[in-house]
Amino acid sequence: MEPDIGTRYEVPRTAEFLRAGAYTRVALQVTRPGPSLFGSVLPFSSPPLIHPGLFCLKFPDEMLKDAAAVARALRQELASGGGGGVRVFVMADTAYNSCCVDEVGASHVDAQCVVHYGHACMSPTSNLPAFFVFGKAPLDVHACARSMLECSRKSNKRILVLYGLEYAYALVDLRRSFEESCKSNSCNPEVQYADVMCSVMSPSSSTTEENDCHLSSGTSCNGDLSINSDLAALNNRCSIEYSSSTHKCSLGGVTWNISVQEKMEDNFIFWIGQDNSAFANIVLTFNKCEIVRYDAIQNQLSTDVSHLMKVLRRRYYLVEKAKDANIIGILVGTLGVAGYLHIIEQIKELIKAAGKKSYTLVMGRPNSAKLANFPECEVFVYVSCAQTALLDSKDFLAPVITPFEAVLAFSRGREWTGEYLLDFKDLITSEKQEAVSATEEARFSFIKGGYVEDNCAQENVEQSETSLALAEVTEKALSIQNQNNDAVLYQGRAMSSIDYLKARSYRGLTGEYEGPAPDSILVGRTGRAAGYNDEKTQSAQ
Amino acid sequence: MVKFTAEELRAIMDKKNNIRNMSVIAHVDHGKSTLTDSLVAAAGIIAQEVAGDVRMTDTRADEAERGITIKSTGISLYYEMTDESLKNYKGERDGNQYLINLIDSPGHVDFSSEVTAALRITDGALVVVDCIEGVCVQTETVLRQALGERIRPVLTVNKMDRCFLELQVEGEEAYQTFSRVIENANVIMATYEDTLLGDVQVYPEKGTVAFSAGLHGWAFTLTNFAKMYASKFGVDESKMMERLWGENFFDPATKKWTTKNTGSATCKRGFVQFCYEPIKQIINTCMNDQKDKLWPMLQKLNVTMKSDEKELVGKALMKRVMQTWLPASTALLEMMIFHLPSPAKAQRYRVENLYEGPLDDVYATAIRNCDPEGPLMLYVSKMIPASDKGRFFAFGRVFSGRVATGMKVRIMGPNYVPGQKKDLYVKSVQRTVIWMGKKQESVEDVPCGNTVAMVGLDQFITKNATITNEKESDACPIRAMKFSVSPVVRVAVQCKVASDLPKLVEGLKRLAKSDPMVLCTIEESGEHIIAGAGELHLEICLKDLQEDFMGGAEIIVSPPVVSFRETVLEKSCRTVMSKSPNKHNRLYMEARPLEEGLAEAIDDGRIGPRDDPKVRSKILSEEFGWDKDLAKKIWCFGPETTGPNMVVDMCKGVQYLNEIKDSVVAGFQWASKEGALAEENMRGICFEVCDVVLHADAIHRGGGQVIPTARRVIYASQLTAKPRLLEPVYLVEIQAPENALGGIYGVLNQKRGHVFEEMQRPGTPLYNIKAYLPVIESFGFSSQLRAATSGQAFPQCVFDHWDMMGSDPLEAGSQAAQLVVDIRKRKGLKEQMTPLSDFEDKL
Repeated sequence: MEPDIGTRYEVPRTAEFLRAGAYTRVALQVTRPGPSLFGSVLPFSSPPLIHPGLFCLKFPDEMLKDAAAVARALRQELASGGGGGVRVFVMADTAYNSCCVDEVGASHVDAQCVVHYGHACMSPTSNLPAFFVFGKAPLDVHACARSMLECSRKSNKRILVLYGLEYAYALVDLRRSFEESCKSNSCNPEVQYADVMCSVMSPSSSTTEENDCHLSSGTSCNGDLSINSDLAALNNRCSIEYSSSTHKCSLGGVTWNISVQEKMEDNFIFWIGQDNSAFANIVLTFNKCEIVRYDAIQNQLSTDVSHLMKVLRRRYYLVEKAKDANIIGILVGTLGVAGYLHIIEQIKELIKAAGKKSYTLVMGRPNSAKLANFPECEVFVYVSCAQTALLDSKDFLAPVITPFEAVLAFSRGREWTGEYLLDFKDLITSEKQEAVSATEEARFSFIKGGYVEDNCAQENVEQSETSLALAEVTEKALSIQNQNNDAVLYQGRAMSSIDYLKARSYRGLTGEYEGPAPDSILVGRTGRAAGYNDEKTQSAQ
Repeated sequence: MVKFTAEELRAIMDKKNNIRNMSVIAHVDHGKSTLTDSLVAAAGIIAQEVAGDVRMTDTRADEAERGITIKSTGISLYYEMTDESLKNYKGERDGNQYLINLIDSPGHVDFSSEVTAALRITDGALVVVDCIEGVCVQTETVLRQALGERIRPVLTVNKMDRCFLELQVEGEEAYQTFSRVIENANVIMATYEDTLLGDVQVYPEKGTVAFSAGLHGWAFTLTNFAKMYASKFGVDESKMMERLWGENFFDPATKKWTTKNTGSATCKRGFVQFCYEPIKQIINTCMNDQKDKLWPMLQKLNVTMKSDEKELVGKALMKRVMQTWLPASTALLEMMIFHLPSPAKAQRYRVENLYEGPLDDVYATAIRNCDPEGPLMLYVSKMIPASDKGRFFAFGRVFSGRVATGMKVRIMGPNYVPGQKKDLYVKSVQRTVIWMGKKQESVEDVPCGNTVAMVGLDQFITKNATITNEKESDACPIRAMKFSVSPVVRVAVQCKVASDLPKLVEGLKRLAKSDPMVLCTIEESGEHIIAGAGELHLEICLKDLQEDFMGGAEIIVSPPVVSFRETVLEKSCRTVMSKSPNKHNRLYMEARPLEEGLAEAIDDGRIGPRDDPKVRSKILSEEFGWDKDLAKKIWCFGPETTGPNMVVDMCKGVQYLNEIKDSVVAGFQWASKEGALAEENMRGICFEVCDVVLHADAIHRGGGQVIPTARRVIYASQLTAKPRLLEPVYLVEIQAPENALGGIYGVLNQKRGHVFEEMQRPGTPLYNIKAYLPVIESFGFSSQLRAATSGQAFPQCVFDHWDMMGSDPLEAGSQAAQLVVDIRKRKGLKEQMTPLSDFEDKL
């Protein structure tokens, strides 16, 4: 078992990374993998050994069973390389999304870096360096190459190969296999392979992060996983002619170059992997491209992305709905992804500028019961990593939208052009939007089917934002009784939660006491409940 | 060629007693637009020769093509009356110049909303009735609407030429037909007793009924003939008029008037003797080209023809002769000027209908007096697309004050609430325009009592609005219009090229503006929906959308979709219970159908959330047999807080119940909007809260626990109460000759329709058929009907009621179950309904 664990979990390479960084406290984060990323799933036999004093093992779900073995193997590997004294902690069950690096969890054990196992969204971290082990899902490269060839015959566009990170290891083989079959079929389709961004991530501000990642991919991506020099050469081949005029695209941990003149629509996207959130991310972002998916488990192509297009249309509806909202809840869906605080601030500003009211809520992973605790919020903006951003359920009382959708909904005059972004870091760069485009036209609401007036920002400022605002309004509650409370409560007429509260039929304890003045303070009983002091004296008598 | 200038027109606008605002209303194809042409011709805008063929007010290409009016069109006309013709006019007047602001409106029921918009800004209505077909469905509908708005009607019996040429009806028979038509119209009008408006019935002998042939451009009232004969018989005109109608007979042999037919061969009814027969004689003479006989006759009638006109033969000659002898414009205009009220007169009683605010404030007073110096009160009734794409004229009527170019005005939208800033804008009018059919004239300002079009306000008005002076912040808006039809037929539209989406969005906005009835919304699934009153209406809307508002970008239109409602048949078979997510709270509920008629009462607003509880409980206990106390325990209505479903509290002595009321209601609003079957609105369901068990700790019984639970228990109780689908049903009226009946029945049967009334129209070979037809089956109904009856039958469909579908949607394979699957598929839901076990919990 031990050597098997070593290769499957890439223990030597991990150890090398840890030694290079001279880390002494390491957190291992394990996520739900595809069923065969790290070998077959065994029935869960016994609970993992937890030895609290030394290191804490917290592995989720299926992979938990291997956690102890991995940690042991890692420590052995480190010890054998002369890097003793490294403490390894295992984490599981993150508060938010297992695809992101759980920095908060790691901070609890003062970890200096995180090793992340399994499916990752590759969102940049804000504090800790992270090392990613993607695992290896089996891929029939020949079948895959045949499918690619098939696609290249059907379409005359350039083929852009994107893949789930668990297939990254097979790319070299795939390329070779494809080139061979091209030769044998004497055709030469234009193919571009995306590059794995990196398997090491250092915390960085968004501006320098790209360089860092690139650098690290050059230095530390080696061994069995890396998509190394020859692939880089391949990449160069595409961009060599116009190396100055290319720009870099990256999504879901893979990156590729396209020239400035080209549009993404000129590519034919060939996706290797499951129909998961990473794929949804690709389809929604490049919703104008032709996309096929190669299912590595069933070894077949599927061109049907209509279910995702439906999702896109549904998102469009949610944006329209959000436009009508007066009270918006900002859900903090990550405490790790770089720039999350920045984007929350930005959205707050945006909402304020649109004359609406926002409340920021931290509630872990949202569910219908948690959201329904805030019935005054007509829409929630969920700030999280790109692959968990889409949160939609019939059970939610109010729709949950992404930051990008919030930008669409709350900046007047912005139209949905079909472009779609899931990653909020792209929004941060495009900040300083044109300050409320001065089209004074009333806004047309497709939910209500007519023009509606949004209250302008200035008006909102007039409202006293003091802590006494609530008290003031509840005091006046009696005088505005004839207002239609139903409309405020259930039709979104409330402008803030104060309005909402005062429309409610039950407002909790009101603090209205019968007596004109509070009773004066009296000296109570003293002693123990078994017999108070005054009781004792009574019994003594 | 135009006989008057904009300056002349503008000058007359100040004379509020010399203005008539009127609309032309009728059933489809009774000849409104054609008749309007005659009037327009008289004002000199189009040549007399082509009047009747041009259809001046059908300004759109598709209107001309289909031969029907789609949009109501305003036209301002200027007439100069002679002193002679006005000598009998008793009312106030100011010179002989008259301004007629006329609005031609469509007759097809799908466009009723256009009629509503037209009626709001006029004071009188010319009701056009085909003399053969008589009073039809749409005549009745619009007449009722008009009377509801306090519009005074006058009637014209149109298509007289059919009597003479096509049917060759004898005098007495024709009289009987006409009097029946008038009788029928009067029956409707008589139901509206209104002391302020007075008697609104029409009488030929009083000059409020005209007889016209719009196609040939002639018309007469009994006044015309009375004038002719009065001197001959030596009686005054009014006396003569009475003799020309009703039971008055004249025998030329004895030269005596009697009130009974004496039975002698020469004794004929006055109308026949002196009106019908002479016309018939002239027409026959013309048609037979007996010119030698014709000229002396014309000479006797003082009709002089131009020499080139004398060369005409047959129909053309007849048309020319009749136009010269009995010009339609003279007869109709005289009728309008004499019998329709001026704005000054009409606004005195219409102010009650119009103004929402207190009737003694300065605005109500200004409207009542039609005071040009008062504060501006203007109602925009519709938006008219301008020639530069994307812009609209705001078309409406000034009720008081005056509106001028460059003036700053307050725009109060339909959702404006006095004292708040919602739906309120201050903007300036860029230009004021008066409307003359196909062209517009800019004017400096427009005083009260007139119709006006304004440029520069279109970005702030969806469909209608009230406009006042900038400073009049305490003015209340003018009451919004009520439409007689509702948008029940919907299609989903999407653009062929994804990048055209902004164009589509912009186009839909404009479409929503240009049509008073159309509704542009978006579905949960993200599809754009256009809802209209009927198939034809939608067809026109889609055409407008694509060609005019989207610049020809291609769109994909889904097949028409009908929305259903979900209801229940019986009381829940048991009390169902659901637990909150934390399992600490339990809600027990039952569903039962609302009493018959109660859902309609809620729809009509007789019962609603804002009622006085006492009044509500009185209605509920007296009409619907509710317990008096129970009526006070209604928690809410829904969906949208006013819908025809309710939650009633039936529990006793539950602690903390008051705390969760808001949460239960929130869950109910949510659930009643999206029923358990296919997420259609619920209708006619009463949910009874039977018992509630709550956690003692307030934090564990908050909204988060109760709202989702309330929704689940409502679904569970719906599913245990024999849920059913309700489908919308049209009331169809068809008029057709006997030989077409077989075809009509055939098509109706095939489409699940059923006839509930078949009546022969007295005196005609025509039958009137009334039937119910499910809306979902109505697509293609018109064309199939035409095919099956070789074009003799033309249906008018109006939404009538919701009808329960017999089959059980929970039974696999039933029709309703199939429908549910289809709806769910369309909405992108799981095809399988969520089973009851997901909503109901066990103890």
